[in-house]
Amino acid sequence: MLRKKRCVAMLLAGGQGSRLGILTSHMAKPAVPYGGKYRIIDFPLSNCANSGIDVVGVLTQYRPLELNSYFGSGAPWDLDVTSGGVFVLPPYQTGSSGTWYKGTANAIYQNIAFIAQYNPDYVLILSGDHIYKMDYAAMLKHHIRTGADATIAVRQVPWEEASRFGIMNTDDEDTIIEFEEKPKNPKSNNASMGVYIFSWDKLRKYLEEDEANPNSSNDFGKNIIPSMLADRCKLTAYTFSGYWKDVGTISSLWEANMDILEDRPEIDLHDKSWRIYARNEGYLPQYIEQGAELSRCLITEGCRIAGTVTHSICSTGVTVEKGAQIIDSVLMPGVHVKSGARVVRSIIAENAVIGEDARVGEPDGDIAVVGIGVTVEPGTAVAAGVQYEPNHGG
Amino acid sequence: MSDIMGIIYTGEMDTRLRELTAVRAIASVPILARYRVIDFPLSSMVHSGIRDIGVIMQRNYRSMLDHLGSGKEWDLHGKRNGLTILPPFSTKDSVGVYEGMLDALHSNLPYLRSCKEKYVVITNSFMLYNADFEDMVEQHEKTGADITLMYTKDPGVRRSGQGKYCEVQPDGQVTQIEVDPITNRFDNTMLEVFCMTRELLISLIDLSTSRGQYHFTRQLLRNAVNDKSMKLYGYECKSRVWAIDSVEAYYKCSMELLDPENRASIFPEDRPVLTKLRDEMPTRYAPGSHVSNSLIADGCVIEGTVENCILFRSVRIGKGAVIRNSIVMQDGRVSPMAEVDHTIMDKQTIIRESTRLIGAANYPVLVSKGLTV
Repeated sequence: MLRKKRCVAMLLAGGQGSRLGILTSHMAKPAVPYGGKYRIIDFPLSNCANSGIDVVGVLTQYRPLELNSYFGSGAPWDLDVTSGGVFVLPPYQTGSSGTWYKGTANAIYQNIAFIAQYNPDYVLILSGDHIYKMDYAAMLKHHIRTGADATIAVRQVPWEEASRFGIMNTDDEDTIIEFEEKPKNPKSNNASMGVYIFSWDKLRKYLEEDEANPNSSNDFGKNIIPSMLADRCKLTAYTFSGYWKDVGTISSLWEANMDILEDRPEIDLHDKSWRIYARNEGYLPQYIEQGAELSRCLITEGCRIAGTVTHSICSTGVTVEKGAQIIDSVLMPGVHVKSGARVVRSIIAENAVIGEDARVGEPDGDIAVVGIGVTVEPGTAVAAGVQYEPNHGG
Repeated sequence: MSDIMGIIYTGEMDTRLRELTAVRAIASVPILARYRVIDFPLSSMVHSGIRDIGVIMQRNYRSMLDHLGSGKEWDLHGKRNGLTILPPFSTKDSVGVYEGMLDALHSNLPYLRSCKEKYVVITNSFMLYNADFEDMVEQHEKTGADITLMYTKDPGVRRSGQGKYCEVQPDGQVTQIEVDPITNRFDNTMLEVFCMTRELLISLIDLSTSRGQYHFTRQLLRNAVNDKSMKLYGYECKSRVWAIDSVEAYYKCSMELLDPENRASIFPEDRPVLTKLRDEMPTRYAPGSHVSNSLIADGCVIEGTVENCILFRSVRIGKGAVIRNSIVMQDGRVSPMAEVDHTIMDKQTIIRESTRLIGAANYPVLVSKGLTV
């Protein structure tokens, strides 16, 4: 018998993340590296740890092995506790049936037994493709205080962008009266962040009803929230005003990385009261050689830098040789840029090698991407906007 | 399952490290941007497959307890075995202050008896090296020695009037030992790393302490060589060795390890040195920063000039500040326009704006923990 938990978190790690192209051809989106030493999933996980939530179920049906080995015992996030922890929950077969996750709501439905073990009062639903620091405990307090059945975190987006989001229309007391998915003429600019807190008994009831409806697409935004509204359940908006960045596309991932190069970034990763934890590989300290030129860049453990790095991020274990130039780019863990090579406005994925005098990306135009473990041959060029992975799909 | 257990003795004399050891034992002196000295012997043991490790503490061990914790970072937090902290305690025979290593081992006989391994490796905690103890024990078995001791020919660790040296025959036998000579007659400096069977160690501890002998090398080993009562063999350490036995030695070692080749000898890629982790963001290099030949940990913000330096975690170097040939420990701050050269800044020290602090290569300035200059 597991100990009762007040709140259990379920993280929808989703599928392949096809909008991230070749960056997710070998790994699930939440495992994509960010900011030099983090992975996207470190943000919701660290938020959980900092909010005092110590049971996190991670729902994925794509390459669970990588995520499992990344989580290990959960120790990096202080989630290696006897009474909880971090659990990867892929779909599985039961006696007579078993299916892939049909939608976000179905993924939770298939894991009702997992949640029920902890007999929680509340369930926090998270997604794994945003960079943000958020106190879920404060949101839970709000949920309890308002006596809501469900609380949806919202964030004000620029009006001109509102039609790209799920928009919550509320009354004066933050009670949601209407939900519109990507409205042509938005009535408000309160966009759903995909962060929900449900009272467990209500969620369970609606998940079971939704599953019984053959016409449902088993999705939180399309089905669960609208049916709860139709039944006049109490749904409350919780306004979040901090930094929040979607990293679901190549360009937004690049932008989110560039954001933390500002003098005073909107998201403070130095904040000791809200640390972002990550699995740490125990590399040597970074070594900056004689002749290196660094300006407005972030460099981390295991790097060896002898070249020029401007407005860029060098992740764990990166080597930049003498005479190499890195500008406006993100080098993911283990990348090796050889002498004379020039990388501009690019994302270079893990363990890729940029050969001598090669050219990747251009000062203007779309972001160039070099795939995981790919070698760009010496003297060759990868143009702006190209996703370079010669043997992709092979 | 490894048949070797490890003991790390951290009770070394540390007066020559001045303020560096005012608040900590040598074993927990911060070194090379993110490590503590004890990480080196401890990591060597872990990579040699040793799963049962006892750390004998003597004084100022609060920072070491904090550093080692449950042994998680070294994967030593298991149920069947792992890290055992052996703090001093007073009994009817002892007041908890050890006379020497044998005395310390004597106090911890119950721990030694409770372990199951056949062999024991004992090491000091003031030297930086990277050794394969499995290989050492293998040689120990082959030669049929009673005790095998590790030595190095590295000239950097020889000290006039200090240190333990031994004569090693071509077949590996140790025939003479000298302690603290003004001029050493043998080029082999002992590391104070020994291996033997656990059973032999237990009987030697009992025998010696009952005769009032508390020092392992000075008394027990020297006597054993002189009266040929035991077979002693030497095992040459395959990595470079640095001894952290004075402020000057600490400084020299740090500067030498800025050289990538030196670093490679004690940081082999397949045997990384493990240490306690702190989750810091990557280091930020501002426009206008100049950095050259420096080893830098995460969490720093660098806006000034840094040459030939070692910066620990969360160090700030202000705009227009210049720091050369120096070591800045965790949370140190060099304010804008300050100039620092040949200086060791202990943890949480601050150099105020436009201050100049210049030491010499053979006598670095040492700023004690928490001070503001």
